[in-house]
Amino acid sequence: MFQNRNEGLALALPAAVFTALLFLLPVGILLSEPFQVDGQWSIQGYIDFAFKPLNQVVFLRTLKLGFLVAFTSAIIGYACAFCIINLDGKHRGRVFGMVMLPLMISPVARTYAWIVILGRTGIVNDTIIGLGLSDTPIRLLFTETAVFLGLLQLFLPLMIISLVSSMENLPKDAVSAARVLGANWFQVFMRIILPLTKDGLVLGGTLVFTGSLTAYITPAVLGGSKVLMLETLLYQRVNVANDFVSAGIIATILILMSFGANILLKRVAGTRS
Amino acid sequence: MKYLIALSMVLHLTTGAAQAAEKKLTISVYAFAQDAFKKVLYDPFEKICGCDLVIETGNSVERMAKIEANAAKPVVDMAVMSSHDALALARKGLLQSLDVSKIPSHADLYKSAQNPIGDNMAVGYGFYATSIVYRSDLVQIDSWADLLSDKVKGRVALPNITGTQGPLALHMLSKALGHEGMDFTKTIDAIGDKKDDIVTFYGRSSQLAQLMLQEEVIAAPVGRFAWSRFSGAALPFKWAEPKEGQTGGMNVMLMTKGNGNEELAYQFMDYWLSNEVQTRIAVMKLDSPANSTVVVSPEIAESLTYGAELINSLSMLDSGAIIDNRDAWVERWNEKVLN
Repeated sequence: MFQNRNEGLALALPAAVFTALLFLLPVGILLSEPFQVDGQWSIQGYIDFAFKPLNQVVFLRTLKLGFLVAFTSAIIGYACAFCIINLDGKHRGRVFGMVMLPLMISPVARTYAWIVILGRTGIVNDTIIGLGLSDTPIRLLFTETAVFLGLLQLFLPLMIISLVSSMENLPKDAVSAARVLGANWFQVFMRIILPLTKDGLVLGGTLVFTGSLTAYITPAVLGGSKVLMLETLLYQRVNVANDFVSAGIIATILILMSFGANILLKRVAGTRS
Repeated sequence: MKYLIALSMVLHLTTGAAQAAEKKLTISVYAFAQDAFKKVLYDPFEKICGCDLVIETGNSVERMAKIEANAAKPVVDMAVMSSHDALALARKGLLQSLDVSKIPSHADLYKSAQNPIGDNMAVGYGFYATSIVYRSDLVQIDSWADLLSDKVKGRVALPNITGTQGPLALHMLSKALGHEGMDFTKTIDAIGDKKDDIVTFYGRSSQLAQLMLQEEVIAAPVGRFAWSRFSGAALPFKWAEPKEGQTGGMNVMLMTKGNGNEELAYQFMDYWLSNEVQTRIAVMKLDSPANSTVVVSPEIAESLTYGAELINSLSMLDSGAIIDNRDAWVERWNEKVLN
């Protein structure tokens, strides 16, 4: 395409300089700060952070909720995606549009809606009491359940979109052929659908897991300080305590968790195939 | 000749305008109700001084960090803070002692607002009481200890320790539970034992108002400045008068060390503390007056922390104690309450 390699490099130079100066350098400074204790390089900041019980609880909670949201959205996502690709063109477009619709609404508005839904006088508690499952309203707000539901609703569309696009490449007769040859639905899923849609699962899983780790508004509004996650802890450390060292450590952990999830998912998908 | 006169007038006006533009005061304030403050305070002052006010807003941590980062060459001339944040800055040597003779309104302030953190490092400009707001149709609150009792189990919220209201609530709970000392260890442990009965630890009074209006919470400590959110609601909210009394706090104004803009800063501080401005601010329910000569109607007073009797009765937490113990409180809170 180019006369020589230098032309291509010259064209990429402005973007590279921009990225280096305004992204890599500041992020590098932020991430390196926790390694400096009294002007010396040290991992003491990480050790101190890791041994604080609250940080351990918050880390494990973030990991658990991220995994649960990604896992649940994969289950629901496969069911939805399978239904969508089996619809005719006109209906498929409409249903797909409905899946996309929440993405066009601000996460703040979507999260605040959950406050009303999950409140003592909300629809969930009204239903529970109406069905006679409990005499008094159950406290749902400011619990892990509330954060889980908020995150699931926030990121499920991303999983569905990823799985729909990878299922569109599934050979049309593959599922029917497997069924004719005597495979049950579980076997069809494990041996046909899952291996052939692994790229979509890896992409969707990474987006949902990473999104759940780094979401701020949903855990802050639905969990508050009783259900701290790494992102809300990071905000608290910076805005309340002006503690950029802990913030840098949390940011590093979040980045590593995101990369780790992506690598793990690729491995799992690779093993399955 | 006519042209020369006209030219000289234009030059004179231009020079005058340039001088006015050079007269500039940079203030650091809370982000709260800035449109209203512009109307009742900033715009009238700019007209009086013939100067420009540069307004910087942000949360306390950000604003304090900015003052500290620019200590050698201050970019902020005057700031308003909570009394303990002001003391923290004073201890770091970032503030200058005020010459109160240059603030004529100073003599009209309530005694406790005249030198709240010592060495004339700050003057109080507004008080707030803190007590418990509760649903009078569902519960009766007579003591701060009621917040941890079974009668509000699962329906109570407390302020987070990291906010301004958190230490105040701890202070009064300690008093009610009979725990002495400023380490609040036993009180934090008592809250930790009841943490499952507490709906949330709120950060902002607007969040609490939403939860109480949604009937999620029926009792919680809150600053009087938020009372108007409850008093006008359809639900029957009441401001408690616990037997241990009410607590409260004070916001103060301060001047950065060596800012070089002292005269204008004194003029602005005096204007803000004057009867005229404090009355306007009180009538708009923006702040409760620290100027003892301010008189407002009973309807307005209802929403404020107003009057010598109430202000003198507040059981305030010492600013020094907050700074000295805050890290230990947060540490214990994280361990026992949030864990």
